[in-house]
Amino acid sequence: MNKKIAGFLICSILLFPIISETKAFADENSYLSEGQTKEILSIADDIIAWKKSDNGSSENGYLINEKFLELAGTTPGDWYPIGLGRLGIADNYEGYLAVIKDQIEERYKTPGKLSAAKATEWHRISLAVLAMGGDPTNIGTDEKGLPINLIADGTYNRGKTTPLGRQGINGWIWGLIALDSMRYNIPDDAYYTRDDIIIEILRQQLADGGFALSGKTSDPDITAMAVQALSTYYNDEKAYTYKQKVSGEEVSRTVRQIIDEALLCLSELQLDTGDFASWGTENVESTDQVVVALCCLGIDPLTDQRFIKNGNTLLDGILRYRMNDGGFIHSFTYDPDNPTSLPDQSNTMASEQTLYTMAAIRRLSEGMRSLYDFREEQSSSLRQRISDLEVQISEIAASPTDAADISELEKLLASFYSIPENERCYVSNYWTLSDTAKEAGIDIDKISVTTPVTESPKDESGENVILYFSESDRNAADGLPENLTTEQYVLVTTLLDKLNKCEDFDEKNIYLEKLTAAKNDIASIQAEIDSINTEIKEKLYPFERMTLRDKETVDSIAARYNKLGEYDKAKIERWEDVIKTKTQLDNLLRGIIIGTVLCLIASATAFSLIRRIRRKRSQKEKEMEELALMYKKDE
Amino acid sequence: MKKDILSISVIIFLIAVVINGTNIQSIDEYYLTHIDDITPDSETVTISIRCDTILDNYDDLDPALRSEEFVPPDGVILPPTKYVLRPGDTVFDILDRAVRYNKIQMEYQGADQNSYGSVYIQGIHYLYEFSCGHLSGWMYRVDGEFPNYGCSKYKLKDGQIIEWVYTCNLGKDIGCIWIE
Repeated sequence: MNKKIAGFLICSILLFPIISETKAFADENSYLSEGQTKEILSIADDIIAWKKSDNGSSENGYLINEKFLELAGTTPGDWYPIGLGRLGIADNYEGYLAVIKDQIEERYKTPGKLSAAKATEWHRISLAVLAMGGDPTNIGTDEKGLPINLIADGTYNRGKTTPLGRQGINGWIWGLIALDSMRYNIPDDAYYTRDDIIIEILRQQLADGGFALSGKTSDPDITAMAVQALSTYYNDEKAYTYKQKVSGEEVSRTVRQIIDEALLCLSELQLDTGDFASWGTENVESTDQVVVALCCLGIDPLTDQRFIKNGNTLLDGILRYRMNDGGFIHSFTYDPDNPTSLPDQSNTMASEQTLYTMAAIRRLSEGMRSLYDFREEQSSSLRQRISDLEVQISEIAASPTDAADISELEKLLASFYSIPENERCYVSNYWTLSDTAKEAGIDIDKISVTTPVTESPKDESGENVILYFSESDRNAADGLPENLTTEQYVLVTTLLDKLNKCEDFDEKNIYLEKLTAAKNDIASIQAEIDSINTEIKEKLYPFERMTLRDKETVDSIAARYNKLGEYDKAKIERWEDVIKTKTQLDNLLRGIIIGTVLCLIASATAFSLIRRIRRKRSQKEKEMEELALMYKKDE
Repeated sequence: MKKDILSISVIIFLIAVVINGTNIQSIDEYYLTHIDDITPDSETVTISIRCDTILDNYDDLDPALRSEEFVPPDGVILPPTKYVLRPGDTVFDILDRAVRYNKIQMEYQGADQNSYGSVYIQGIHYLYEFSCGHLSGWMYRVDGEFPNYGCSKYKLKDGQIIEWVYTCNLGKDIGCIWIE
């Protein structure tokens, strides 16, 4: 992963990972052993422990602390919540939702909203919001007072402003993942249909079956991410007709064909040590992505023979990068030119990707929904129905000949198509049934059209959690300093959100008033910081053109700066330039004052000199006159 | 008579001081206000900013940016310009100074906001990553080489030459080899 390397251009492109479905083995019992489950969970726990210490959280405190929340809405700030949420680990979910909502509203006030070019900002944030229990289709309000819908703006309507694929294939891949995270419906007046997005991915497949950001060599990360996105459609018999980008040929293919080829490509790219190399560097993240892709397909990543090399599994490949502190490194190839990724120091991105990879494995082994499928879990009866069907499919004869075989196949197909359409992707070995039925000449389409769907009964749902504004919340609100700074932004935002959602209590209004006022104060401090930064950038340069006329401006910037608290002062960029200009102008003014004073002294001296000369002269004249008088008298 | 001569010399002296300049500074003040002055002793670096590659890929450019206001006809946003190297200056510091001093628009992502631990340059002169195709963005070269890490991690030395160049093809169009 010279991503790190390629980093600075493409980092933002790659900051994303992805989903999928199943190519199945008839290994309905491939779930993890007790020991393996323990191992997966302890890998995840240790990553969280490492991140907490990296983050200044206490061992028993939340990973999502105030410091962490300052990063809500950025790559490192959103992926840990996704990992935590999908593992079902309790943490500060409410805090994340409160801050991300506020951040989204702020960012929606700018012309590019979440990003001018990168639709993946919408996708990543949507997934994090879902993982924390929020609703990305209704999070905050825009300046017109309308609810913000990240799914609409970031996927099917993205094309109304900027093409979804402006940043490359990632935009399409992650758009599809976000769109299918809750199997969102696309309205009729949308810019893209689902098929538009699927075809954009399919057409970018390379000759070797994989995918890449650019060029003709497949990259494991992008290939795995494409598989994750397409996995939802693995069991669809629908053939898509499109023109391949590489060959220019028009083809008609199913998603299953594409995914099978991509898996073959990935299998070939896997190294003897079980891991993968991307951009020439062996690294953990590529391996993480492949594991997630397999889990999305319902394939057991630990036993699939295509992904065991030289006895090493994908998990063996991942564990090569584990550090003693529980975190993971990006790569252990020491690169003296790359100080951002040390071979002996745990790294945020490597650890966050490994964390959600563990969630993906765990979810598969527990029969839960795949990593990026955020819908309510399947009811136990639906799960049973699917697992029974999988067992039956695993028992079908390899080459059906007699009428009994055929009728059995037809019966199984009818069972499959009676499952609600959006749940069929969880039948991990449907492909065996499909292949065998086609071989026997059965008309699958006919069965799919004529079989009525039967819903399974739902499980009893749990109770909604009521939030309390606890004693410690009150103490935190009471303990807010008199002079607020933006340092209290996260705290005030989360407290206020909690207060708004909690049930009534006596002093609720007092707290509401206090926290709303605090929120507004902090917002105006932030606006002041932004305004000072803009002012400096626009009015202070170039230095040599600064004249005394600018003194007022510079003095007012300095005065405004001095009013800020210490924490906020640190957010003023290039303050040293203001000092420099202020000194320059103050010196100039001082020079002028000194000059003026000197001129005054010189004039005063000159004046007295002239007076003295005049006086002397008139004295002399007088003397001369007196002398003349004396002479006259003498005469 | 003596008094007159004294007065005259005082006047001459004062006028001489005024003509010579009255900008009397402490050493600290002098250092501060002259920090960017290039003297024979100063350590300096040179920085330039170019977007030539866009001229060859104009069709891929975001239509809103198709104007000389954003893409200069010769591709030069900042010709090679010398700056004094202050202790600890990184490539980012010099870029930030250059765009501020020359009033060139620039937007970046802070080091804590991405997984790379370095400042990431999103756009210069309104030309952003992906503004000219999905493989486009800003890269930097120091003494002809493309470092493979972030610009706020690269500490500069005396005499180095920094070039910020816009690529439309992941660096391949500007001679970046490691990306192959």
